[in-house]
Formats: sequence, C-alpha cells, structure tokens
Amino acid sequence: MLQTDEVLSTIRMLHSEHLDVRAVTLALNLNDCASPSADQMCKKVHHKIMTRASRLVEICDEVGGKYGIPVTNKRIAISPASFLLSPHGHAGALKLAQTLDEVATLCRVDFVGGFTALVQKGISAGAQVLIDSLPEVLSTTKRVCSSVNAASRKAGINMDALHQLGHVIPAIANADAANKGFAAAKLVVFANIPEDNPFMAGAYMGAGEPEAAINIGVSGPGVVGSALQRRIAAAKASNRKLTLSDLAEEIKFASFRVTRVGELIGREVAERLNTSFGIVDLSLAPTPTVGDSIGEILKTLGIAKVGAPGSTAAIAMLNDAVKKGGLFASSSVGGLSGAFIPVSEDATLADAVEQGHLVLEKLEAMTSVCSVGLDMVMIPGNTPPATIAAIMADELAIGVINNKTTATRLVPVPGCVAGDKVDFGGLFGASPVMEIRNVEASGDFVHFGGRIPAPLQSLGN
Amino acid sequence: MPKHSLIFLPDDDRGMGSESYYNTVDNGTDREMQHGYVLNVMSLDRPGIVAGVSDAISELDGNIKSCSQTVLNGYFTLIMTFSLPKKWKIAELEETILKTEGLMDCQAMIRPMDSDAPRLADQAQNIFVITAFGKDRKSIVARFSAFFAEKDINIIDLYGDLTPEGEFVLISQIEVDPSHDIRNLQLDLEEMGHELGFTVKLQHNNIFVATNRIRLD
Repeated sequence: MLQTDEVLSTIRMLHSEHLDVRAVTLALNLNDCASPSADQMCKKVHHKIMTRASRLVEICDEVGGKYGIPVTNKRIAISPASFLLSPHGHAGALKLAQTLDEVATLCRVDFVGGFTALVQKGISAGAQVLIDSLPEVLSTTKRVCSSVNAASRKAGINMDALHQLGHVIPAIANADAANKGFAAAKLVVFANIPEDNPFMAGAYMGAGEPEAAINIGVSGPGVVGSALQRRIAAAKASNRKLTLSDLAEEIKFASFRVTRVGELIGREVAERLNTSFGIVDLSLAPTPTVGDSIGEILKTLGIAKVGAPGSTAAIAMLNDAVKKGGLFASSSVGGLSGAFIPVSEDATLADAVEQGHLVLEKLEAMTSVCSVGLDMVMIPGNTPPATIAAIMADELAIGVINNKTTATRLVPVPGCVAGDKVDFGGLFGASPVMEIRNVEASGDFVHFGGRIPAPLQSLGN
Repeated sequence: MPKHSLIFLPDDDRGMGSESYYNTVDNGTDREMQHGYVLNVMSLDRPGIVAGVSDAISELDGNIKSCSQTVLNGYFTLIMTFSLPKKWKIAELEETILKTEGLMDCQAMIRPMDSDAPRLADQAQNIFVITAFGKDRKSIVARFSAFFAEKDINIIDLYGDLTPEGEFVLISQIEVDPSHDIRNLQLDLEEMGHELGFTVKLQHNNIFVATNRIRLD
C-alpha cells in the first residue's frame, strides 16, 4: 500500500531533483515519400510530418502538465534520408534537409534526426549523396541531425567510409567556423546504431520499426545523484557502513521510478497521437546544469578526480544498475540505454578535461562499459583526417567486438588547439579542446582502406 | 511522520498487512436480507481497539465489508462498513458495541449505510493528488478545501501534519471532473499557494501509482 512518505518521496523526486522526461521522439517512416522528383518528394515529406507530428509538442505539454513533469525535448526521427536521395543528387539532399528544417520549425520540435546513412558494409548511391552533402546541410540548417552507421558486429568496420568521414567532419566544422564548428556536433558516427533511439543527434527510425512510434528518453543523472547523496548522508548520520552493493541498489530504485515516469508519459502521448508506443531508453543523459552530471555521480561514488583509476569501474556499476532498475520497470526498453558521457554537455566531465584529469584514452576506456562513445569531444581544428578516422575506428571497434553501440561525435574546432575553451551554449555546454596524442601516426593504417572484417563474435549461429 | 494510506488503488490490488488500508471483504455468505451500517470510532490510541470492534460485530453475527483506520498525533480513528442480519435502532447498536470489553473509553457513531454511496473505482481516471507544503499557519486546510468546494470538486482523502521542522504538509486526493481545465486549476492553486507561502502541486494520481507500485494495470 502506498503511504504518505512515498507520495512525498515522489514529490521530492519530481520537484526538488528536477525529474523530467528528457526526450519524447516521434519516429516516422518516410519511405513512402520517395519520388522521381525532388520537389514532389519534399512535398510528401512536408505533408507526412505535418500530418503526424503537428500536435506532438502540444500533446507532450498537456500530458506533462497533467502529471506535473516537464517534457524537456520533443523531437522527430525519420527513416534514413539516404533511402530517398539516390536519384536526386546534391541539390535534392539540400532541398530535403531544408524541408526537414522548415517542418521541424513549424512543429516546434528542437531537432529532426534521421538524415542518416547506413554504410557498415558499403556505401550506396543515396548514402554517398548524403555523406557528401553533410558540410552544406549541417552548416545551413538548424534542426537537422545526421548519423552514419559505419560499423556493425555483422559487417565489421567500413574503413573507406571512416576515411571519407575523416575528411567530411572537419569540412562540416569549417563550413560553420563562425560557430566554432558547432555543425559537426549534429553528426554522430555509429557502430551498431540502434533503430529506436530517442536521443539526438543519433535518433533515426530503423527498417524494422512500425510506421510511427513514440520513443522516450528518461530523466537525467540528477535524480540518481540525489538518491545516492541522500543514502550516503543517511548512513553517515546513523553511523552505518555502506558498500558499493548498497549504492548500486539505490541506483536501481531511482532508475525504476524514473523509468516508470517515462513510460507513463510516453504511453499517454502515443495514445493521444494515435501512434504506437515504442521504447523507453534508459540512458542517463546529462546537461550542463549543475547537479545533472554523470561526472558528479562518479564523484559521489568516491572518484575524486573523474578520469582517475576506478572511473571505468564506477561508471560500469552505474550503467549496469540503471539498466537493472529500468528493465524491471518497463518491458519496452530499447534505444541506447546506457549512461552518456558527452564531455561538453556534462560540466564535471568538462572540468575534469580542463584540470587534466580526463584524457581521450581514459574517456575511450570508459565508453567500453557505458554509452555511447566519444561524445561531444572537441579536438584541435588541424587534426589530420586520417587521425580522425583512426579515432573513430578505435571507438567503433569497441562496439563491434563487445556487441554494443558505440559512436563518436567529434568537433574539430576551427583555429583552436588543445586547451582552448569552446562554449556552444545551452544544452551543448562548454569544454576545452582535448589533446590528441600521437597525431599523424595512424595514416598508413587508415589508407589501407577496405573493411575490417566482421569479428568471430558475428558467427553466433 | 505517521504513515497514512492515501493513494487510491483499483479494486483488484489492495495492499497487504496494514490496518490502515482500504479493504473490502465479501465472503458471499450474506445472500439473505442484510442491513448495512457505517461505524466511526475515535479514541486515544492503544492496542486492542480494532480487536474490540470486530469482536463486537462478530457477536452480532455481522460481516465487515470495508474498513480504514489511521492514527494521528496519538489519536485512533476508524471508519468501517458492516452488515447485520437484523435491523437495529442506531442508539441501541452504538450502546451495544461500546459495551464490548476494551471499548469503554471510545466514542462511536453509527448510521445506516446508503447502498447508493459512490465507489471510488468508477472514477480512477479523474483522481488527482494535491500536495502543499510550507511554514505552518492558520487556515491552510480551510483555504484549500473552500477552493475545491466552490468548484464542486470532491475531496476523497486528506492528510495533513506538521514536520519536525515546523512545516505543514497537506496531501489530498481529489476527484476532478473532466470538464475542469487542469492547467487552470494548477495555476489557481499555485497562485493561492504563493499567497500563503506554500508550494502547491496538482498532479494526476497515476504518477504516484507508477513510481511506487510494482504491478501496473
């Protein structure tokens, strides 16, 4: 039976610990918008998105109001744009991106994801058009987000695609030099891209999904961090010893409740939009707000300097406990479902970089046990394309071998060197440019090109 | 802070073990004519009151249909519905029950039960929870209850208490007809809270069910 103290603990979670629903993403299949004419295709895309999504923001606000929980981000994710682009070339890609940007503005969503190409085994004509268009598309649109899946457990790692992207990513950043290369933050390069991810910039709608679905990203690390701090303070006050198992248990409880909130909101939004409910993504996504940081949770768990020995083990425990709590709360779990460590979007991580506690290699190690990869990492603007490709290859190899999703969102900041501070503002936060050691030492490896074959683990049948 | 059962749960999943849960008992034995009563008991809290009351009803060959009990600041109160095979005069029935061993210091009030009294289960979709907390002062319950009464909003359950820090906490379940605009109610309540120096939230009941119950319907 529920008691008043449980009501009060829910109230505390909702109002003092800033529990929100981080993202409600409407995924839409646009394959039926294909057309021999680019104009016609864009018209169909405009019509379909407006028909299905024009009430998304209003409904999210209504449902959020009813339960007293804000839905922070409302988004749209589409089936891969590359599927529509092969007959239309560069001009068609630009036109589609502009249409998506316009329609996102009309629907009042902050981003539309799915300007996506799947190239893990090879690059199709449509995918090539899309990749080539990225510098112009991402620097001239505001709300379009892109992703490229360049590796998978079944296909291995497409090094040719990564080599191309090693050139494309700095080109995107340079095309948006006035904004310190911010446009590059709207591109994620994946291994094992999830088909139902609600989080940007990597959200897109996969081929096996229904016509439309609502996918939910749950609240951030603030709730989990507060629960841990409260538990530790209570143990101190009563002089009781706490172990890491106790703290893992506390994370599970917090995650259970947070997941339930996400699912409650998601199911009602889906019902009101006459759309199927997809998944709840159990990722803890930080924001630059103080108290909403994965880095702070690591500190609460006793890692005084994020990046110090123990950081990987601590985040592994956090990630696992969040999943265990969330999995029991909902049978519709999917997406990325892992703690994110996006450097600029997490004030404590950015600070750890600035203090020299957290280096690229340690960050990479941490991503082998959590989500999602080298995320929102600023790198020097003059980093050679082959080195960028090799950084991506390393990160994607972690995903391919360990059967998990990994990704990179790298911003080569034009004109900046390691240590320079870059501030993107808002949810994207600020971070120093990270140092890359051993630059220009991976060129020959990358230039071999081809595909790193699918690993032994792919042959599970 | 004493624990008080507050959140409405649908019929098929009532809680376990607590004397304070809203319980329905129906063993199907009373197909012949029965007479329903509602009993309210108040007393200083001590062990044995529920035992005394239920013993008294057993002695009268009665059957308890539902009951809810709580203790507030050391005072016990119980509301119970039950049926009896014979019709009683109310004053006699009260006297008979209070004569039972162990109930001498209790106050009791009984009235015949109206079988048309509304049951909560029908309105689950319309149940909201209001929580208000702030520095204690006079008229908090009066102001909020007047607000709801004026709008013809029914209070289903109400709990209020002082925290050790001197904060008054008010939690109430209310039944809000769908014709009300929730956003406007929230804004009005927040404004009233602001005037009183209170933080006020109005949220649908299901958020508390979802975050606290293991099994959802």
